[in-house]
Amino acid sequence: MKRHTLLQYAARSLFRRAATQRYPAERTPTPERLRGTLHWTPDGCTGCCLCSKECPANAIEIITIDKTTKQFVARYHADRCIYCGQCVVNCRFSCLTMSPEEWENAALHKQAFTVYYGDAPHVERVLEGFVSQDSASNPST
Amino acid sequence: MDTTVPQRFVVPIGPQHPALKEPGHFEFTVDGEQVTGASVRLGYAHRGIEKATEGRNWVQNLYLLERICGICSHVHATAYCLGVEKLAGVTPPPRAQAIRVLVAELERIHSHLLWLGVAAHEAGFDTLFMYSWRDRETVMDILEALTGNRVNYSANLLGGVKFDLTSELTDKIYKGLELLEERTYQYVDVVTSDATLLQRTRGVGVTTREQAEQLGLVGPTARASGVERDIRVEAPYAAYPDFPVKVVTATAGDLEARFVVRLQELFEAYRLIRAVLEKLPPGELQARMPRKIKPAETVSRVEAPRGELFYFIKSNGTDQPERIKVRTPTLCNLASVCVLAVGSQLADVPMILAGVDPCFSCNDRMVTVYSGDTDHTQWTWKQLRQYGIDYYRR
Repeated sequence: MKRHTLLQYAARSLFRRAATQRYPAERTPTPERLRGTLHWTPDGCTGCCLCSKECPANAIEIITIDKTTKQFVARYHADRCIYCGQCVVNCRFSCLTMSPEEWENAALHKQAFTVYYGDAPHVERVLEGFVSQDSASNPST
Repeated sequence: MDTTVPQRFVVPIGPQHPALKEPGHFEFTVDGEQVTGASVRLGYAHRGIEKATEGRNWVQNLYLLERICGICSHVHATAYCLGVEKLAGVTPPPRAQAIRVLVAELERIHSHLLWLGVAAHEAGFDTLFMYSWRDRETVMDILEALTGNRVNYSANLLGGVKFDLTSELTDKIYKGLELLEERTYQYVDVVTSDATLLQRTRGVGVTTREQAEQLGLVGPTARASGVERDIRVEAPYAAYPDFPVKVVTATAGDLEARFVVRLQELFEAYRLIRAVLEKLPPGELQARMPRKIKPAETVSRVEAPRGELFYFIKSNGTDQPERIKVRTPTLCNLASVCVLAVGSQLADVPMILAGVDPCFSCNDRMVTVYSGDTDHTQWTWKQLRQYGIDYYRR
């Protein structure tokens, strides 16, 4: 910097408040398009599995409860997710959204990163092991 | 000790070294402070991405390849998308192409400002480093508002882009550019007039035009030596045919010229972004892509902030590629460090290295050493495992 420019900057900075924030008391609003935690709603899902087939990180699995009545449960691995948003683009029925608010995703144990979405009784059945754990998209695993 | 025979003194730099942010190994033979020989060794950050692409489908690879580089992630994705679209015979809509150019130019600003900071830091001019990185926040914020991420924007899709521009965003970009333009004038002024910085840049690491041609330099490094080499002009891709680029060159070929060329390119980027915003074509954002691509091969070239980025893509009729080959600009430019370092002062070497804007992890590749007696080129999983067990037993 030229000396006078530098002095100008220094003088101006003297009266400016600190650029750092008192996080978490104070936080910058996140941009609307920020890609945070993935959310899935069962309404409208046809089990086409385009979301899980093209997921680069195998972070989402669609588990079939009943194919004929189109009942599914989604298992989301937040620790694998790279937040690219490809699944959201792929879903033609708008079942998937990424929340711009949920970005503080640290946890103390691994279980917190496996999230189940779907109707509560269905999720319970999956958790209790009554439903084949094979996801609809990836029958081999 | 026999003092008549001159002692060969080798200064190793890296793989871990304060002057390098990424692992690379250099050996400089010195005579006093003078460098008399230099060699480079790569492979410390090899990630096997090219091989990994062969086990993923076309869409998954987009995100894998985007992660080759954290700074120029968008151009990697663009190069891949353009190649795959060529293979599939799909033409993305003009609006998508324009948005690709827009993000690419924003990324170029971000990359050049980052380099300015790193280079200033190597020169010991940390004030400039702090200021340029502060201003880089402006463009990072724009990218975040536009795509949702500060790095690895994921703006590309096969056949188009994900994000559209809104009038709010357009205003934000115009505002940000105004601020950056004003600052860039200051930076140009600083790098061409600050006496201390000039001592470290003027006449240091001079690459003549002939040398640049012989070494096959690319990007701003080559343009600083007067070589008019820019893929955006030579083989315009995406929306660059509609938004022509003026090539910025300098003739001096020293580090100062590289500073000036990169900073002047910022002005060109500001101009291009404004042109794209003014004449953004209307229409769709994505064209339909087939899941499987018939057997074919293609080459895709784009101009990354550091120079020509080259992709070779081969399909085999399935939803996975047969082979993807990536050649990043750093690989072309790195050889010049070894040539330029010879004859210069050892203290100038970090500056010469920073002058090519190296990105080690992007260009890193496997090095095969032929020892002669046994063939170590191919190991089975069993052999590799046995080697590991034996290694730790020793």
